[in-house]
Parts: sequence; C-alpha cells; structure tokens
Amino acid sequence: MDRRDFLKLGLSSIFFAGLPKIIFAQGTSTLSVSEGKDYAAITRNAINALGGIQKFVKKGDVVVIKPNLGWDRKPEYAATTNPFVLKAIAEECIKAGAKKVKVFDNPCNDPRRCYENSGTNGALKGLKDVELKQMEDERYKNVRINGVALKEWELYDEALSANVFINVPIAKHHSLTRLTLALKNMMGIMGGNRGYIHRNMEDSLSDINKVVKSHLVVIDATRILLNHGPQGGSLNDVKVVNKVIASTDIVAADAYATTLFGLNPQDIAATVTAYKRGLGEMNLSKIKVIKA
Amino acid sequence: MKITSSRISQLIFLAIFFVLFINTEYRGKDEISAAVNSFFRANPLVAISYLLSTKTMTLLILPGILMFVFSLLLGRFFCGWICPLGTIIDLFTNRIKKILPLKFLKTTFKYYLLFTLLFAALFNINMAGVLDPIAILVRALTFFFYPLFGHSVKLGWTGLYSLMGDNRDHIDFMYAFLRDYILPFRDTLYPLAFISFLLFALIILLERYEERNWCKNLCPLGTLLGLLSRFSLFRRLPKKLCADCRECKNICPTAFDEDILQKQDCILCMDCTLKCKFNRVKFSSVFKGRRTKEKTPVVLGRRVFLGSLLSGFFLAKSFAFQSPREQERLLRPPGAQKEGEFLKKCVRCGECIKVCLRNALYPDLFKSGFYGMFTPVFIPRLGYCEYNCNLCGQVCPTGAIPNQPIEEKKKSVMGVAVFDKNLCLPYAKKINCIVCEEHCPVPGKAIKFELSEERDYTGKKVTLKRPYIADELCTGCGICENKCPLEGKSAVEVFAKVKKSKHGAQ
Ligand code: SF4
Ligand code: SF4
Repeated sequence: MDRRDFLKLGLSSIFFAGLPKIIFAQGTSTLSVSEGKDYAAITRNAINALGGIQKFVKKGDVVVIKPNLGWDRKPEYAATTNPFVLKAIAEECIKAGAKKVKVFDNPCNDPRRCYENSGTNGALKGLKDVELKQMEDERYKNVRINGVALKEWELYDEALSANVFINVPIAKHHSLTRLTLALKNMMGIMGGNRGYIHRNMEDSLSDINKVVKSHLVVIDATRILLNHGPQGGSLNDVKVVNKVIASTDIVAADAYATTLFGLNPQDIAATVTAYKRGLGEMNLSKIKVIKA
Repeated sequence: MKITSSRISQLIFLAIFFVLFINTEYRGKDEISAAVNSFFRANPLVAISYLLSTKTMTLLILPGILMFVFSLLLGRFFCGWICPLGTIIDLFTNRIKKILPLKFLKTTFKYYLLFTLLFAALFNINMAGVLDPIAILVRALTFFFYPLFGHSVKLGWTGLYSLMGDNRDHIDFMYAFLRDYILPFRDTLYPLAFISFLLFALIILLERYEERNWCKNLCPLGTLLGLLSRFSLFRRLPKKLCADCRECKNICPTAFDEDILQKQDCILCMDCTLKCKFNRVKFSSVFKGRRTKEKTPVVLGRRVFLGSLLSGFFLAKSFAFQSPREQERLLRPPGAQKEGEFLKKCVRCGECIKVCLRNALYPDLFKSGFYGMFTPVFIPRLGYCEYNCNLCGQVCPTGAIPNQPIEEKKKSVMGVAVFDKNLCLPYAKKINCIVCEEHCPVPGKAIKFELSEERDYTGKKVTLKRPYIADELCTGCGICENKCPLEGKSAVEVFAKVKKSKHGAQ
C-alpha cells in the first residue's frame, strides 16, 4: 500500500465512521487535546478522539514512530518525549494489527545514553514487534528535495519506506526557533551535517516536511520546557502541563502547542513558513479542537 | 601431551582479560565494574612507579603492592600463570622456528631498562607504562585490533544491506547481539595505532630468536618480578641440569640458558616437574632440607645503577621541551587538574581512551612533549565530553583521572571555549546559527547570546543572535567545538584554561 492509497483509505474510513462532516470540510483541520495525569490514558484518548489508531494503521503495516530522544536527560527534565506516551502509541499500533513498529531518533548526545536515560529503552522493552532501533549510517539515502532551501539531503531509509509515520515530539523551548515542535522533530531523520540547516531553518523544515509527511502527529506536552532548550537540565525550566495533542495536520498541532507557552502561532517562524507553503492550518480560529 | 595447571590458569586469565577488555565500554549502565582494570591495579610495576613518582600512597595501588609481596614469597608466578601477554607469546612461540638467541640481549640490558624507567619515575616522569606488558597489550588491542575487528564486522553488515536491503532485518538479532555485547560502538581511527601494533608485533617476532625472548630479556615487569623472586621461599631442585639427561634445557621456557637454574627467570610453569622422565624435579621450601649457599649472579652492579640513574635523569629532564602552541590546546580528561601531577600518575594504559563514549580522547604523541607519549589528550573537534558521563575516571587504574561522582564531574573544568568572530556565522556572515548554544549542556547555558539588529549584506534587516561564552559556567566539555556546523575549522574552540605548569614543577 503506498501513501496515496493509504490516505484515501483513511479518509473513506473516516467518512464511513459517520463523524460529523463539517470537521472535514475544506480548510478545516481537526486536533484533539487530552488532559490528565495518566499519560498513557490521555494519549489514547487524544488518538481516539481523532477516530482511533485504526484509522491510520492497517493490518500488516510497518509503522515508524519518531520521538524526540535528542538528549541524554531523564524524563522529568522535559528534553525528550515521554516514555509513557510512546509506549501507549506503540501498543495501539500493535493492537491495530501493525506488523512492526520501529522507534528511532538520531540524537545529538550519545545515542545509547539517550535511549536509556530518556526512559524509552525501559518503556518499550518486552513489547512484541516493537523495536527501538539505533540508526545506522548505511541506511541514509540521498533524496532529491528540490525545496526552497534544500536541493537534496540524506534521509533515513526506514522513515521513507514505512507505511505509517507517526511524529511524536515533545513541546519545548529552542533559542533559534523559539520552540521545537513537530515540524522540527523531522530533523531526526536527517543525516549529514544537520547544523547546516540552522542557516535557513524555516524553509529547510518545510522542505523536509513536504517530502516526508507525518500521517499522525502526537505532541507530548505532559511537561514542557520553558527555557534553556532544547537541552534544559534544570527543573526550574520545566512546567507540568499534563496534556497530549494529536492531529493529522502538523501545522495545526504545532500552532496549538505554541499557545501552551503563552505565544501565538505567528511568533514561530517555522510554523508561519509551513503554513504559507501549504503544509497545514495555523489560524486557531480555523482549527477544530476536540477536548478529549 | 599433558596439560599443566599453569597452562589452564593462563588460559583462564587470558579469557578474563578479554572479557574485562570488552567490558571496558558503556553497556547501558552509568557505572562500570571496577574490575575492568584489575590487571593494572594488581600490577607491581605500575604500583612501584606510581610510588616513586608521586611519593605518596593510595589505596588504588594496594593490589599491586600485594602482588609485590606475593612475588617476594612465591617467585615469578605471575609470568607463568597470569600474564596475558606471556600467554599470547606461549600460544605463538611453538609456531615460530627458532634461530640463535640475540647476543646483545643476553647482558644486563633489561636491568638498565627497568632502572631507567624507575629512576625517571623518581624524577617525576612515570614512563613505565610505555613498556609495561599489560599496557602494551591493551594499547595494541584498543588502538589497532579492536577497531579493526569492529570495522570488518561492520563492513560485512553494511555489505549485507546493499545485497539484501530491508531483508537484512531478519538476521538483525545476531548483529544486535554482537553490537550490544562485543563490538566497539563506533569505529575510530587512532593516531599511534600503528606504533602500538608494531610494539606488540615486535614482541611476537622476537620469538624467532628464543622462547619468551621478551619476558627473559626485556620486559620491565618481568625483570622486576625476577628481582623479587630471588628472595622467594621456593626453590627448584635440582638446581642444575642433570649430567645424564639435560632435557630441562629443552623443556624450560625461560630459566635454563645455562646449566644452572636462573632463579630470577623461572616463571614457575612447572613444565619440568611434569615432563621429567626420572621424576627428579621438585619445588620445595628453602627452609626444608640442607641449605646450600646460593650464588646469585651480580646484576645490580654499580655500573647498572649509575647508568640507569643517568639515563633516567636524561629521560626525565632533557625531553622536557614543550611547544607553547601545542600547550594551548593540551586538554586532559575531566578532573585531571595539574599537568605535572597527571604525568606522574598516568600509566598510559589506554583504558580511558577505550571507554570514552564520544571518542574524545586520543593517545598523544607530541602535544605534551616526548614523555607524554600514549597519554590521553582530549580533542574536541573529534569528540566531546558527554555531560552525564564519568566513565574515564571510573576505569583509570591509578586515579590520574580522578573517579569523581557525576555531579562533581559535571563541574570539573577542562578548558574554556573561545569564539573566533572571523569564522562564527552571526559575526562573520550575519547569518543566524547558534548550534553551539543549542548543544551546551550546562543548565542555564554557558553559551549565551545577545540580540543585535542589523542589516545583512544584502541589505535585509535581520535580528542576529550572537553567541558569547559565560566563562564562569564553561567547563570546556567541547560539544560546541564538536558540533559547530562549519566545515573544517570550528568557530568556537576550547583552550586550556590554566597555563599548564612546566612539567615537574606543578
Ligand atoms: S615477563 Fe613480562 S610479558 Fe613475560 S610473562 Fe612476565 S610480565 Fe608477562
Ligand atoms: S555553532 Fe559555530 S558558527 Fe554557529 S554560532 Fe556557534 S560557533 Fe558560530
């Protein structure tokens, strides 16, 4: 099944599920927010509010879950995606019949330590058909991007070949882009000298997100990092928000998450650029928000 | 052929040695077993040269002192029963046809060597590790064989990918096992790899001339143990070759070049007891039976003593030149504070270099002067010091890199980062970047930035984020230098903070 079939299938199943038509009217994006202290439960709620994981994951699919595991930090420092959120998503995928769930990131710190200390290794251990993978050099493929900023780049093969790509960032501060959210989380599938794209971050991020679409975005806002990101390291910079946001519209998800920081979507150049380039909706008034 | 107990012991210790070597690596735990460097801790040569150079005692070298005492009582059993290099030599030697022994080694050369090293230590330069057998072996493995091994396996695995594509995943579990438990995590090329290999290869090649050539005629540890074993309470009887047989000369690996047993060369392998056709050989306590006057050959003559005193002095002092340019960038592992202090303690075993997660440590050749050879230097452009990691301090056998609790290590200063505004993008090109700031692991950031409204070179208005270093927070971990996306030279570089003292003074 290629991407297009998948999307069609997804759309028709929404249709048959009989959800109100208005949600899917042109130009309207839907997103769900769920709040609570049981992070696995709120993750499930958020996904169910969009129609359930089976809308995205079909029997026999290979699913890639791309968290943000960029740093060697314990979960409470809000530098990495919450392990309970990840585990819940992985379990849902398996329940929906996924053949294999691959979880990986290309961290900035030592990858072994990041996987271990972020709690991901422990959380996913023992789940059948769920693999936390170290990324391997030979699997990067040079991809023609023909974007505004990037002509071509090395992208990770397993992310490209997956049937379903689930983007699971944590919402946090970043000095250059102000925030790092789902659009920026895609840097994790890039190889090569990633620091290079800091020179034109906004366009580069749109370029990448145009080539590799996130079928589902789940933003971990259980605790968010307000300052000194993306690494943090001090609990003083962390705020516990107990929320999870889910959407199929990556720009909408990012736009909404921005408000948790007391900012407007317009403040985030990456969001604005992505919106302008047609990757999704950033006007909060045009986004349908389901409280799950 | 009968297998002697010494052979079994040798193989067991060799296996232990390899297991410890492989486990000198991050395997998912912040703590590494203190056992990984046992072979250095229990090494009398390391212990003695540490004592001589630092003139202080530490608990770390206690096992070495114990081994010293045991060898005094029992003899040179370490060489016949434990030493992994000795074992490897034994495994090779039978395959190498012998020609005549090298004459020039049959002198007091080994004593010169040992005492030169010890005197140099006394003059504050601890170079014993350069020729210590365990260090030679660990370095050959770390810098040459292990990367080679890792690289070849990786190459095969990568090759499979180009053949099978994603189908390779079916056998992934096999590779995963290797990767998680046996292989080095990432491949590194080390400077000095070739020299380390050469030193090891030479020792094997020496077997062309006689069995255990290195052990008998060169090894400083063996020589030291030999000196001790003269006082040991065991002696082999008979003390000479028996006139009617003389087979011992062929059986004994070390002690029977001449007709009389050389007690300092006997490694207690017990081959002679086992293989003697007449069952004449026994080892007995010196207290038992008739005491005969032993005539020990004079080795510690005045000449050896004075000669090594002189060469030790030369080794320690005359190579003291260090280029100031190199010194600016002479960075040591975290916690190693004073250069002089560090050089006294470091045994150049290569353990820290092996264990370093991010390959930030490399064996030095010239940065710290001639006698810094094989000591670890920190090269941030190649790898950085991981904020939450203190493994190097955990594996250092002598505390040259102190074993600091992680909270302390996070604050220990290796140097300080400095920007080169001629290269750094926001300054030089008026383009935003601050990758360095993003990676700075210090809570609150040691790299900060100021905002500056400017027009870029095309006339467009830009808000630049221009980074600067908060010196009081910077620990010199080097991640900024490492991650700076400029191709080639980094725009931010770590420099040694304190002016390193001339060696010896502190
Ligand atoms: S002489 Fe040296 S290398 Fe040989 S066995 Fe003894 S310690 Fe090992
Ligand atoms: S990463 Fe390098 S170029 Fe970029 S701001 Fe820092 S020092 Fe300058």
